[in-house]
Amino acid sequence: MTNTARTLVVSALVALGCNGTPAARTPAPDAQAPVSRPATDITPTPVTAIPGHESLAQDTAPKEAPRLMPAETLIRSYLTLFGGLSPIAFQTRMRTTTTGEALFDTWADYLSALGIPDYTADIPRAAQTNTLQLAAYERIAVALCERAVQNDLRGAAASAQVLFTFDLPAGRSLTDAEFATRFDVLHRRALGYPAALAPDTRVPRFLALYRSAETAHADAGVGSQRRFTGPEAGWAGVCEGLLRHPEFHLY
Amino acid sequence: MASKTTIAAAAFAGLTMMASTAGAAPTREQYRLFRALSIDLQGRIPLPDEVADFERPGFDLDGWIDTHLTGPAYAERMRRVYMDLLRLDIGTMFNFVSNPVVLRRVQVMDPSGAPVFVYFRRGQRRDRVESDGDFCLSPAETGVTVAGNGTLSGTAQPIDAAVWAQRTVEVRPWWLYSDYRTASPTLRIGATDQSTMALSPVPGLLTEADGHTPTVTVRVCREEAQTPEQAPMYLSGRIAALPTTVPYPGGRVTAPPTDSAYSRAHPTDMVSCTSGTGVSFAAGCGCGVGLERCMPGTSTTNDPAAFSLPNFVPLGADTPLDNAQQSQGDWTRFWWVQEAVHFLDDLFANDRDVRTMLSDRSTQVNGPLAQFYRSFAGSTCCGGGTQFNYVAPDPLFDPANVPADLTPHQVTTWRRIADRGPHASGILTMPIFLQKYGTRRARAHVLYGAFMCRQFVAENVALTPSTEPNLMVRPGCQACHATLEPMAAYFSRVSESSWTFLPSASFPTFNPACVSTRPNVAPNGGCGTYYDPAFSAGGNGMLRGAYGSPQHADEGPAGIAQVITADPNFAGCVAQNVGEAFLGRTFTADDQALRDTLSTALSSNGFRMRALVRALLRADAYRRANNLDPAAASQGANP
Repeated sequence: MTNTARTLVVSALVALGCNGTPAARTPAPDAQAPVSRPATDITPTPVTAIPGHESLAQDTAPKEAPRLMPAETLIRSYLTLFGGLSPIAFQTRMRTTTTGEALFDTWADYLSALGIPDYTADIPRAAQTNTLQLAAYERIAVALCERAVQNDLRGAAASAQVLFTFDLPAGRSLTDAEFATRFDVLHRRALGYPAALAPDTRVPRFLALYRSAETAHADAGVGSQRRFTGPEAGWAGVCEGLLRHPEFHLY
Repeated sequence: MASKTTIAAAAFAGLTMMASTAGAAPTREQYRLFRALSIDLQGRIPLPDEVADFERPGFDLDGWIDTHLTGPAYAERMRRVYMDLLRLDIGTMFNFVSNPVVLRRVQVMDPSGAPVFVYFRRGQRRDRVESDGDFCLSPAETGVTVAGNGTLSGTAQPIDAAVWAQRTVEVRPWWLYSDYRTASPTLRIGATDQSTMALSPVPGLLTEADGHTPTVTVRVCREEAQTPEQAPMYLSGRIAALPTTVPYPGGRVTAPPTDSAYSRAHPTDMVSCTSGTGVSFAAGCGCGVGLERCMPGTSTTNDPAAFSLPNFVPLGADTPLDNAQQSQGDWTRFWWVQEAVHFLDDLFANDRDVRTMLSDRSTQVNGPLAQFYRSFAGSTCCGGGTQFNYVAPDPLFDPANVPADLTPHQVTTWRRIADRGPHASGILTMPIFLQKYGTRRARAHVLYGAFMCRQFVAENVALTPSTEPNLMVRPGCQACHATLEPMAAYFSRVSESSWTFLPSASFPTFNPACVSTRPNVAPNGGCGTYYDPAFSAGGNGMLRGAYGSPQHADEGPAGIAQVITADPNFAGCVAQNVGEAFLGRTFTADDQALRDTLSTALSSNGFRMRALVRALLRADAYRRANNLDPAAASQGANP
């Protein structure tokens, strides 16, 4: 319901003297008969005529929940996040591995979940998120971020980095300030604005995520089969968090 | 007290002001707006460099918008609005299998006993009863029987060398050579990169029957290799069908064709080899130079495999998401969709009058579409039309207007055709529209919703049994059909589930030759296809679908385009469709002012879409809407 419509409803209730106490129902003599009321029962009243509302500011701008990014735009955005590969090259890159983990299936496996319309079957474009869609976001974010970590954070030249366009200090953990600087790079890339303009909890929450992953992987110990170091796991988690953030898919 | 307008204006001032014009850093809302604009006008989230530009003092957001209202991503954005409305694609349940076009192949033994593929087309007229209308080599000659449905049986045997030489020839076909039109083609098609769009025959077309030798020529029945544009009528002398005693001469299992009444009445006529009639009536019609008038297939099945092409191209045909071996019908269907895509892209990229979407005679074609319109489209004509002396198609897209130099290999070369012909009318006469919406009513219905923003909703009436054929008056039906039937009548002259045009010279709306002498019974089979016995009156048969409005039937698709685009609600409907797509929500009564503003922007600027979108992107509805904070929403806040 828009504000305008809500205002009218509220005005009408006030005008009717609604005080929260339901009036006793009087059974209609004939339930089938149309109910009519004198026109004077409901008098359209400007909200400003209500005592105490004379100078009340109103925001009459229509407001709606954020809309879903078109799936085509989403796919193209994923591709640009990973350096602008073609879709088939992207798919190959996500699937190819020397260590056995295939992080991606095929685009065809995700299209329906992402909300691409199927004109052949008259299936319309998805206008709202659903659980399968969120799972697809999650899966693609994992694939993209983990591949990007492997590509960017293992000594790649700056020109070869696709997403994590920063370096990590060798042999020590990042300070909170160093984390914030690098997080801002990812935040701007994924969500399009500086982390400093985000809600106050944004950086601390992602820092906590980073630290927890970093610690968990650091604790894995010698001989661990884990493929990521602590910082790598931390940045993969941060990246995944941003790419499945509502602000990423909605606009 | 400040007015609401004043308060709103003050509240929005910080947003609508261009970013950083005052030297201040952009606000979060301004960043959000820039990201939204990038998503809508660039088709992706902004790149770091673009965000950095946006943050620079003096960044001209209005100028940025204007610049990006001209790019391909903008055209794609606008095209998606109408593709979402029209859903112009058809699935694999629909197969374009036109026997005069499809070259199927049979594996036989050549005189040396080696396995060899021989290509042929069903229905090809040949000058001997053993193979007329069938495979050119009889079962007695090959040991292989080809059933009418393509099923093979028997054991292959070496073919007599004289028969082999007499009945088959070798050709360098278009699907193997890009220079197939030359006397000695040499430029054989090689392996293609699957991440790009290219003519890519399936592996089965690239190797010989031994499974490994690369194919450099194909062996084809001699008749199919003929190249004339026209050929004389062929009369076999068979008037009546042979007795159904199997096998027929030469061991064939299909009945040899007989001479039609038309061919007997016109024994000296020449027929067009690009029409279905040509294949049915002339033994001198073949597949043309390099077999370019035919599609190859790897088997004798109904719709054999032919080319590799994508199943999914949401980012465009030049950016496929996959690649798979598909049938010859899929190849054609794929390009039908792309014609609509490129037509719409051209319309929006060049900011043409949006009304021409329905009315323009222009279109866009690439190599495969040029081949289709030049060589394949006429193959569906004219069937029973010969009874009405209709043997050469009066096409929706005149083949003479197809660029002669476009070859099937030029899949990424698109050209604008200024005039398809007098019957063409925007998307309404494109194969993809006519196949997606196969019936006259379906065609009218989708236009009613997509371009008039109205829906047929039946009134609340009880249906009573009725024999009234006129749905415009039948109780319970009339509420919708009183409007639908006259609209559907505009498509009376375009065959259902086809693009065959029915000219009034051959198919008059009122035809005394097709009057029904008994209620609801057509006078003969040919009339029944085209004329509706339920509406015979006054000594005339009524062209099917025309009863809603004979005048509309004669005006054709261009007539309904004229009516829709002249409707006072047309601009408002365009505004609503585009506005809803960009705002991601349905318009309500509260959006009437916005709808009117956008409608005016469109109609006062020559129905150029760019003006509408520019007005929309600068409207508060776009800049301030959809801004409910996700965190607030998660806590139960409502818009």
